[in-house]
Amino acid sequence: MNATGTHRVPTYCYQCVAGPDLLTVKVVDGVATEIEPNFCAASVHPGGGKVCVKAFGLVQKTYNPNRVLTPMRRTNPKKGRDEDPGFAPISWDEAFDLIATRLLEIRAQGLTDDSGYPRVAASFGGGGTPQSYMGTFPAFLSAWGAIDMGFGSGQGVKCYHSEHLYGELWHRAFTVSPDTPLCDYLISCGANVEASGGVVGVWRHAEARVRGMKRVQVEPHLSVTGACSAQWVPIKPKTDAAFLFALVHVLLHEFPRERLDTGFLCRHTASPYLVGPGGYFLRDRATRKPLIWDAAAGAGVPFDAPDVAETLEGHFELDAVEIGPDDDVLGDGCLVGKTAFAQLVAHMGAYSPEWAERICDVPAATIRRIATEFLEHARVGATIEIEGMRLPYRPVAVSLGKTVNNGWGGYECCWARTMLAALVGGLEVPGGTLGTTVRLNRPISERLKSVQPGPDGFMAFPMNPTDKAHWSAKSNIRNAYKTMVPLAGDGAWSQALGPTQFSWMFLDDTPKGLPRVTAPDVWFVYRTNPAISFWDTKNVSATMARFPFVVAMAYTRDETNHMADILLPDATDLESLQLIRIGGSKYVEQFWDHQGFALRQPVVATSGDARDFTDIATELARRTGLLARYNASINKGAAGVPLKGEHGDYSLELERAHTRTEIWDAVCRAASAELTDGLQIHGLEWWKENGLATKPFPRTDWYLFPTLVARGLRFELPYQERLKRVGAQLGRRLHEHDMHWWDKQLEEYQALPIWKDFAAPWTAAVTVAGGEPRDYPFWLLTARSMQYAWGGNVGMQLMKEVADNIAGHRGVIMNTRTAEGMGIADGDAVEIATPQRSVRGCAVLRQGIRPDTLLLIGQFDHWATPFAKDFGVPSLNSLATMSLDLTDATGSGADIVRVKVTRAGEQAR
Amino acid sequence: MTRWAMIADLRRCVGCQTCTAACRHANATPPGVQWRRVLDMEFGEYPEVQRAFVPVGCQHCDDPPCMDVCPTKATRKRADGIVTIDYDLCIGCSYCMVACPYQARYKTERALFAYGKPSVSEAKRHDDARLAVATKCTFCVDRIDAGIENGQQPGVDPEATPACVNACIAQALSFGDLDDPSSNVSELLADNEHFRMHEELGTGPGFYYLWDKAVAAGTRVRSAESEGGPT
Repeated sequence: MNATGTHRVPTYCYQCVAGPDLLTVKVVDGVATEIEPNFCAASVHPGGGKVCVKAFGLVQKTYNPNRVLTPMRRTNPKKGRDEDPGFAPISWDEAFDLIATRLLEIRAQGLTDDSGYPRVAASFGGGGTPQSYMGTFPAFLSAWGAIDMGFGSGQGVKCYHSEHLYGELWHRAFTVSPDTPLCDYLISCGANVEASGGVVGVWRHAEARVRGMKRVQVEPHLSVTGACSAQWVPIKPKTDAAFLFALVHVLLHEFPRERLDTGFLCRHTASPYLVGPGGYFLRDRATRKPLIWDAAAGAGVPFDAPDVAETLEGHFELDAVEIGPDDDVLGDGCLVGKTAFAQLVAHMGAYSPEWAERICDVPAATIRRIATEFLEHARVGATIEIEGMRLPYRPVAVSLGKTVNNGWGGYECCWARTMLAALVGGLEVPGGTLGTTVRLNRPISERLKSVQPGPDGFMAFPMNPTDKAHWSAKSNIRNAYKTMVPLAGDGAWSQALGPTQFSWMFLDDTPKGLPRVTAPDVWFVYRTNPAISFWDTKNVSATMARFPFVVAMAYTRDETNHMADILLPDATDLESLQLIRIGGSKYVEQFWDHQGFALRQPVVATSGDARDFTDIATELARRTGLLARYNASINKGAAGVPLKGEHGDYSLELERAHTRTEIWDAVCRAASAELTDGLQIHGLEWWKENGLATKPFPRTDWYLFPTLVARGLRFELPYQERLKRVGAQLGRRLHEHDMHWWDKQLEEYQALPIWKDFAAPWTAAVTVAGGEPRDYPFWLLTARSMQYAWGGNVGMQLMKEVADNIAGHRGVIMNTRTAEGMGIADGDAVEIATPQRSVRGCAVLRQGIRPDTLLLIGQFDHWATPFAKDFGVPSLNSLATMSLDLTDATGSGADIVRVKVTRAGEQAR
Repeated sequence: MTRWAMIADLRRCVGCQTCTAACRHANATPPGVQWRRVLDMEFGEYPEVQRAFVPVGCQHCDDPPCMDVCPTKATRKRADGIVTIDYDLCIGCSYCMVACPYQARYKTERALFAYGKPSVSEAKRHDDARLAVATKCTFCVDRIDAGIENGQQPGVDPEATPACVNACIAQALSFGDLDDPSSNVSELLADNEHFRMHEELGTGPGFYYLWDKAVAAGTRVRSAESEGGPT
């Protein structure tokens, strides 16, 4: 680090899930002055090496005078929003002593409490982005043992939850993206890619627009993405499933069958599988394989029989068995089976555009036109050569956004979207609808390798068990994901993908059958602020105030660390050291032609007493007697790369505390070895100089289709026999334990989803709260802000300044004419209320929003975070409630609240 | 001759304000002083509404109204089209701010910092010469001049290109020499429909907005076929 002169330092920004962005920081005489794109990365980065607006806040972030720069101890034992914590500076030694004492007490007691829940909990910010900043803390967590990572701050419920779970089940798609560079027609239901897609998303879509891709934006308000789309369709909130069902209907019922990709449906989906009278696949008696009808032989044969003429439609009588939940034999003998595709056609018959028009307030002619354009652009039968491989070419896709692909209706929307792709053979092929990465399947992030043969010719999926022998009402953590949500799996990410609101909700009122939910003895918090970012923020704050010992890595004071016992100042983005993997295919639109590693490095000297997270983790491990396990965990790969591989052994000595330089030097060498097959071993100094290194990533790996074909597997569509079975079994287990509070959620496990009034639970919530629904006529929604989303950067003046250039960042957006009818003028103070809560803000009048909808961008309403607490901008989170009624079968919910709005002061009159 | 000009492709711009932030960084302007910013505009009435994002700033006009009203000749136009302000000559009368039809000029009476007192970074870059004088987008003239001196090409080489253009994540902003028919900006204007803001005023802005592909520009459309042959 040069103390004088001017130089540029390469590093990365991973403040949001659409990263990382590769950048350089101009440093003058040891002071960071400017952020710039890393132009050297332009040739390998899919967004031209450019940098998102959030990264430009990093200089202010470094020098923010509101930073916590020394460890602090709470002196006021009382906790609460109105209590002054009385934080007093202490030394690092004292801070570590206080924490280690607690941790050692826990180790002496046992890692789990009387309910069986981990005594230590940890919460991190959304999308896993904190992992790119927390150095070797994951190694400490691994060395520790049982930890509850299910206290959510929004992840699991305010994410693309149904997409995460069902997406991975159907096409290894933790998130779903159009193949934007080749796509010609995109239906975007609420997907706000221009705000949440990061540099790469914006870059790819701008290219596609100029190339001629037509994007139809379907959403209640005209978002920045809608602004950049060819057409805006202002749909009624939470009715997207009806719109999508109608599109499926048009394709199935209004076009000749040959216009669809019948070959894809027959050979690469379960469309020909025969469904028995009980609703389960008919199976071969000996092998129990699902049967299909061989038109050539005139007989039912196992789905994987060679040289079969698959039959797409019809019903047939054949000798078979039908196996229901818990291996119940529902039928045995001569049974009638109807193909899954025929079931689909019949099922969708009622969902015409005219039917949908009445529900979603979109003209039937518009729905029909969009379906027709989708089919016309699909180019069924076309192929394209990618890196020498000839693949189907289907330049049409459907993307879904938040509140569409999570909460009630999320399953139905995700299913319909995936079906639209499958009907034209556009699933996981060039131009079509693609998955990006995996988080529930293993190996994590290794999407194609995660494709393993499972039952019935489909991909394996790590469902939590629902059979009698293995299901358990006793959960490993407080949000009960293993017990309640089979699709959440049980991998490293599963805890955060369970019903993370349950950890907060059940503390005082654990429902029957689950072990009593307890407060954790120690709670670690890093780069997250659930007191602002979750729902029911007042109660979440009150709940965390009851936690006995909270350790918060604190950048500035905020609403969550207001309840902390210890504040630890970690060296922040431009001050600390970490190597991460880049490239391949990752979240959102991150499809690279390269893969490798990038280094984040100290650009300037660390401010105050802030400490690198790696050094914090190492010291915690040392003081808790876990050093050997901690080092072993790093050696195994907890820092992102196994230190021992076929091209070298850079393992750390187990019993010694290593400096951050020693640790990351070893990681750098192991990464270099992996990247170059051992040809070039570079240490930390080389990576500091160069910032990144990559090797090619095959574009054919963007697509799952070739892997499925190579392994003889089919997409698990259209008929969800496995889900139906799992749901039935889960229901039996719950009822056997007298647990009936999940019955509504069990209804989501349908082989073919039916339309329900998915908005109804939020209207009913008004009644539950003591109100009359007609008095609360508005749907309050939220939308991402590119300037803030995931960034934890609300205290940055620069972000506030530039975000305010975008409509809605200063208040609540409402329809101009509606407001005029209510006597509300632009800038007026208004009150937004549910029967029990209210917030105030300024009216921002716009034409681009439905008359029945209000929009609050971002998540504000801060009361402790310096700078942000003076914004005066309300948040949906202050009004939204947590309840079982608003929780779907995946454990998720949605950012939507039924409210009324009045000019502030009117109610008082 | 050279005529430096900037282009904003309205089909590409998403209003992210990355250019705004990059300009604030590159030019060390104080809070609220956005030499480059992006307007968020709405047209029509629900449900027939359009929303557009429009980058604005100094248009570096051929006939800049700000120059004509300047009593001290602080505002000048260079031969290459860049309109400059000599802070030593400017007396802060604000006539130029009133005259500019693009509201592109700023004046800061006293030192402003993000959090009240200057941070170490702000202190390093603060310049008293910019107080109580008119300021505006310079097309990052220092980068252009230094770049040319080093043999670099503005609009192509990042070191010689305005920071907002370098930063644009949608490739909406371009910069180059209008007098060079083979420059990026000349080609973009030839291939696309475009307009200039308040053209009727006769100021001759050096800032163009693209909004559609020119009718005769089909040859420049990249077809999927040319990328590897879908059949």
